[in-house]
Order: sequence, then structure tokens, then C-alpha cells
Amino acid sequence: MAPRGKGKKTKGRGAFSGLSIIASAVLLFVVALPTFVTLAVGLLPSMAAFIFDRSPGRMMARCVFGLNFSGVAPYLLELWQHGAQSVGGATQHVFQPLALSIMYGAAGLGWLMYLAMPPIIANILNLSAQRRISELRKNQRNLIKTWGDSLIKEVDR
Amino acid sequence: MAEQAEDQVQDASSDAGQEPEMDRPGGGAPAQEPAAAFTEPAEDIGTGGKSLEIGNFRVFTDLRLPEFDMGHCKAYAADSLSRSDGRVFALVTDPVLPTRYDLLRFLAGVHIGGQIDLLDHDVAYWPPFGRKTMVLFYEKPKGGRVIIASGKNRSIDEQDIASVVVEPLMNVLQALSEKGLTHRSIRATNLFFADAEGGAVILGDCASGPPGFDQPLVYETAARMASEPAGRGVGTLADDLYALGMTLAELGIGRRPLAKMSDQEIMDIKLSKGSFQAVASQEKLPLVLIEPVRGLLSDNADERWGFSELHAWLDGRRTKPQQGNTEKRAARSQNISGKDYYTVRSLAQGVSKNWVNALAPLRDGSVEIWLRRGLGDNDRAKALSDAMRQLQWGGSDKRAAEDVLIARSIIILDPKGPIRFKGFSAMIDGLGNMLSYDVQHGRGPQRFSDVVAREIPSFWFGRQEGFNPDIHKLQQVYKNLRYYVQQKSAGYGYERCLYSMVRNQHCLSPMIEKEYVVDIGQLLPALEKFAENAADESWPVDRHIAAFIASRLEDDVEGQLMAMQNPSDEVEYSRAIISMLAIVQWRHGPDNLQNLSHWVARLMEPAVKVFHSKARRERIETEIPKLAKRGNLVELYNLINDEQERRKDQSEFVEAVAEYSEAESEVFDLESSGSARLEMAETVGQQAAAFASTMIALLTVSALFLMHMF
Repeated sequence: MAPRGKGKKTKGRGAFSGLSIIASAVLLFVVALPTFVTLAVGLLPSMAAFIFDRSPGRMMARCVFGLNFSGVAPYLLELWQHGAQSVGGATQHVFQPLALSIMYGAAGLGWLMYLAMPPIIANILNLSAQRRISELRKNQRNLIKTWGDSLIKEVDR
Repeated sequence: MAEQAEDQVQDASSDAGQEPEMDRPGGGAPAQEPAAAFTEPAEDIGTGGKSLEIGNFRVFTDLRLPEFDMGHCKAYAADSLSRSDGRVFALVTDPVLPTRYDLLRFLAGVHIGGQIDLLDHDVAYWPPFGRKTMVLFYEKPKGGRVIIASGKNRSIDEQDIASVVVEPLMNVLQALSEKGLTHRSIRATNLFFADAEGGAVILGDCASGPPGFDQPLVYETAARMASEPAGRGVGTLADDLYALGMTLAELGIGRRPLAKMSDQEIMDIKLSKGSFQAVASQEKLPLVLIEPVRGLLSDNADERWGFSELHAWLDGRRTKPQQGNTEKRAARSQNISGKDYYTVRSLAQGVSKNWVNALAPLRDGSVEIWLRRGLGDNDRAKALSDAMRQLQWGGSDKRAAEDVLIARSIIILDPKGPIRFKGFSAMIDGLGNMLSYDVQHGRGPQRFSDVVAREIPSFWFGRQEGFNPDIHKLQQVYKNLRYYVQQKSAGYGYERCLYSMVRNQHCLSPMIEKEYVVDIGQLLPALEKFAENAADESWPVDRHIAAFIASRLEDDVEGQLMAMQNPSDEVEYSRAIISMLAIVQWRHGPDNLQNLSHWVARLMEPAVKVFHSKARRERIETEIPKLAKRGNLVELYNLINDEQERRKDQSEFVEAVAEYSEAESEVFDLESSGSARLEMAETVGQQAAAFASTMIALLTVSALFLMHMF
């Protein structure tokens, strides 16, 4: 029962989260359409990642979103700095090739980071294990040197 | 089985009849005195050129003194190195017969009127035997032997027998009985004149062999004569008085009573007529001796003359008349193997001599009926019927149960007689000496072991009437025998029984047997000598030595014996052996035992293994040769038995084993967790990437805000 309940809870929270995002998007669409347009265009990779990443915790989506948002944030801030916020201005800013490159490139970097990080961690863990093994073997050699073959016989018994 | 039993009986009887060969140890059979003992025609009497020093004496090994041979022992000329009178001779005992410890201790250096003076005794190498043996040093009697070669007897006037013979012998018996000892070698051929005039006699040796061993059969009481010579037992004062009676008879007659009869005939006539009637009917006793001989030869020990009656007779007073034969005679006979028996004692002897054929009349109840109707002895009949009933519960080993029935029946018929089991026949107080004789004369310990394992002695004790402190004392001694016999490991078995029962039994270990080790203090010097050429693989303690130490040492070595039960555990086995030897050295010395120490050191390898630490082992292995050179077993033992060091070594070893095992399992875990680690790396990597991404986003936003503000 517990896992089912937990699943329900997760599903409920996910549904709530999706709903809150949609509600925020609708609110944003009504209140600040240029910001909405900038975010909608800039965060397209993140939205795709959230849609396709079905893994628990959606790590890939989080990686992509983090860097993707870092790429969108300067343009968003620039949009807010200029007082006349219009859909045209926002569209003009967003669809500049450089801006798109930065926003989507940052999302790509996030994806690359998602791909690169596990092998790096695996190497670190392997190296650490090797070092521990050699340390233990050295200790064992010292014990045999002190206690002789009787130690091995006793351990084997 | 029946044929085997018969063969065994026949073998036993033929062994008993062996002639002594006294030029080698183990001539062993009782001497046929007087003629055989000192009329050896082919004997070379040397000139005394060869001599050896034993203690304070010089013994001439080629200068025999046949006139002082005593029983089975030969006499040699000797000089005292500390005394000038020179009236000493050496009596060389047979090394395969145990001497009498209690008598040697009591008589050595003590003068008792009527007893030959035992000056000293010592264990020494005796060249003709090629081994060590016990040598007794006696003062030469001034008057020579009372009965010499046949036809040349120096007769004692029958009127003088009281003062010349009885008084001195009574003095000896009184002195011995005060100490709870018995002589058991009182016979006419063992008498010497104390002076040249023949005014008094003295008794010869009584300590050179098992009690009663050299006594002619006629000198043994009806109870003890059925026993084999080695198993006749220490006996009591009553047995010595009986022998005194027969001695008087022999002196009175001028030759040994019933000498023309065979042993079997003597037994038969004594059992059927009673001892006195048997002698009186065949020999002509001097009138003056009839009364004491009759009194002393009474077959009932309670009615036999004691000191008071003898004193009365010496004083010329008359004493109460004695019955000739108090044994109840049946109205009809009981037949065993074609021979008729009328008394219970003779029937007991008949059963023992016809072991296999006696079973049928016992089983079919004819003996029981004979006891009830022929003798009117319902008590014995009931005891026999109880024994029969126990046969039916005897279990699977029917033959053994039948043997037990026969042995018990004999005891029921003759409760004062010897324990008889197949060919074995020994008094309860002679079991130890009988075992010693059997072991050293090729018969082996099996007969004794069978007797003890089947609890025949316990049954014998159960059949004794009234309280007798001597029997109670014996009962205490025999309490442990069954346990010893049942234990198969070193330190127990028949060997333990032997050394426990026979105080002067020398150690029979093949390593040191020729050294004649009687006292525990002689053990290590003998082993030291053997160690010079000992094989590397052999152990210095075998079954005999272990049992000898367990019996003779004051300290308890049961712990060591327990450890020796498992020879495959070399560590404990070697430690137990070294421990036992070390205790003996600590108690009895000597301080320096270099050869034995080197021998022990070679065998210490398993004991050194008890230490796990290589450093400790190396230190001990370096120390061992140094200590071995000093010849101290105690130090060697302490080296491997430092309990504190051992405990420390053990606890450290246990920790080391645990540490090694933990390391091993951790290495195994690390080596076998590659895929798990990859999975973990995947998860952790993704989490790290997500975290980093989020951090970058936060930092970027924060930086942009800050830039905008400032």
C-alpha cells in the first residue's frame, strides 16, 4: 500500500507542479506577454527535456534547464531594463541568431554536462577503490610477515 | 573356545614348572631348595679376580658363595669398604622379579635378633646379567646353614628346638608384625646358625622377591597354596606362623615333609585331611613337636596358634587341643572330570583345574544341590544360585559370562583362597606381583586385565565376612584398577596397575628397563643415559614411563595424561611430555640433563608452534639450544609455557586474524563491486550535474542582478 500511496503522492505533486507551471504560464501570458514570449522561445530545449526525460528526478531536464535558464536570463533582464516592453521587441531580441545560439548552446552545455559527469565520477570512484585495495593488501602482507603461514591457515579454516 | 581355555590352563601349568636358570635374569621360577639351589655341579667358582664397587661394598663377581644362596638369588663374596670385619656377602636379586620395598626399608641397617642383618641394598650393574639389578648386602651368619646338602644336616636336638629355633623366629615375627609386615620366607632351608656353636638360628632373606615366592608348596597354607608362586601375596602373621609350624616339622623330621609327593598330591592330601593330619600321616614327628606343629598347622587361621600359645608352650604350659581338620566334609562326593571332591576348598581347586569341564555341573545345579544336601551349606548354595541367575543376564558374550560364573563359583566355594580365572591364580594381595611376573615372563597382562575388567576382585571382597582392616585397605587400592585397565591411553592400562600395586617394580619401558629404575629419582638419569643414542623421532615418555611417573610422583599429573590421550595433537602431546619430565627434574633432579634436554629440544618443535608470532618463535628457537646446553628441562618447559606470553600471543593473533579477514572481505567487496560502482557513479554523476547546473543558474541570475544594481 505504501508504495502505491507514495506513487499517488508523487503523481499528485507532479500534476500539481505541471498545473502550477501552466497556471504561471497563463498568468504570465496575461500579465507580461513579452516575458512569456522570451521564456517560451528561450526555454524550448528545457521544455523538450522535461517532456522527454521520464527518469526519476529528471536529472537530465534539470541539467538542461539550469544552464538553459542561465542563457535566457541575460536577455530577460535586458527586456525588463527597457521600459517599452512589447511583443515585437521581445520577438526581435529573442530571434537574433546570437541570442538563440547562447540560449540553446547553454542548454546544450547542460546536456553535455549531464552526459560527462557520470564517467568522471566513475573514474574517481574506481581510483579511490584501487588505492584502498592496495592499502589493504599492504596491511595483509605486513600481517603475514608478522604471523607467518599460521595466519593464512587460521583464516582458511 | 573350550579348547583354547584348556590349552591356556595347560600352558600355565607348564610355565609354572620351568626350571630356574639363574645365570640369566628371569630364571624366575622359585628355587627348588635345598638341593637344586646349591649343588650345581657345573658352576665355576672363581678366584675373586673380578670385582666391582657398589656403594660401600666391593663385590667379587666371579667368587660365588653357594652356601649363602637364598631362594632364587645367588650369593657372591663381598667386602665392606667401610667396615673391617669382612663378614659380608652380596645377594644378587633376579631383575625380573620385584623385591619387597617395605621390608627393605624396615630391615636395612637394623639388627633384629633372629633375622639375618641386612646391611644395605643398592641398584647396580651386574655384569653376568648385562643389566642393573638390586643387590642386597647381608652380614654372613657365623654358623652357616642349618640344612645343608642332603645327608649332612647339622641336626638340632629336638629338646633344643624351642630355644634355638622358636624363640629367635618369634622375635622376628613380633618385630615384623608390630610394623604390619610379614616375612613369608620362613622355611628350614632359609635358616642359618647365628653362631658357630649352634645356639640360635637366624632367618635368611625375605626381601629379594615376591612374598612366598621361594616357599615350597608344603609351607603355604591351604588358602594360599593354590596360588601361583608369584601371586601368593603378602599374607598375614598367621601365614608366617603356619610356615613356622612346617619349619618345626621339617627340623623335627630331618627332611622336608611330604617331599616325595608332587605339588598336586600335597595339595590334595592337605585339602582332604588337613595340613597337620597330612604331615602326621606321612611323616614321623618327634613327640615334643606334635603339639606346636598341630597348633601352628591349623588350617583355620583363627584357631591357629599365636604368640600367646607359643609362649605358653615355651613355658611348658599346656594349651587347648586343636582339631586336626576343621574343614567340613560332605557325606557324598561331587564329581568333576572323573574325580571326587568332598570339601568345598578341594572342589574349588578341582573347578579351577578343570575350567571347561566344571561348567556343566555348575550350570545344571548339581554343585548347588551338593552344597545343600551333601554339606547342608545353604548360604553357599544360595550364592551359587544367584551367580547362576546373573549368568542368564550375562548379555551377548556368553563365553565371558560363563568364565565369570566359574571364577565366582570358585570364590563362593573358597572365599579365602586365591582369585582363579582360567590359568590365572593369585591371592588378592598378590595380584600386583602376579601381574609383574606375567608381564616379565612372557605371559603378558591379558589374564590380569581380564580378572580386573570382569570385576572378580570386587566379587572376592564381597564374599569376605566381617570387617578386616587389611582387606578394607586392599579394597581401597583396587578401587581404581578397573578404571586404569579400561583406559587405553598412556599413563593408564595395566602399566598403571602394575606400578600402583608393586612399589618396588622397576620401570619396564624398553628404553630404561636394563637400568632397573625403581625410584622416581632414578628415572631421569636413566633416560639421560638412553638419550645419548636415542632416535630423533622417538619420544622420551612411553606408556610405561608415563604410568611410572603417574604412580611414583608426588604431584598430580592427570592433566598431562589427559593431554597425552591424543597423540595426533602434537602440540599438546609434546607439551605434556616435556611438562612431566620437567616436574620430575624439578622434584628429584638432577640439575644437569644435557642429553635428555637436547632430545627434548629436538621434540619441542611442535610445542614451539603454539606461538603464532614469527618473532616470538624465532626468539624461542634461539633460546632452546642455549637452555638445552644447560641441561635444565624446567627452563625449557618454562620457555614454551610462559602463560602470559602465550595469552598475549593468542589475543594478538586473534586480532590479526580478524584484521586480515576484514581486509580480505573488504578487498573482495571492492573488487566485486565494479558494476555497482558504475551504477552509483551514474546516479551520483547525474545528481552532481543537476546540482552544478542549478548552481550555475543561480550564480548567473545573482550575478546579473548584482551587475544591474551596481
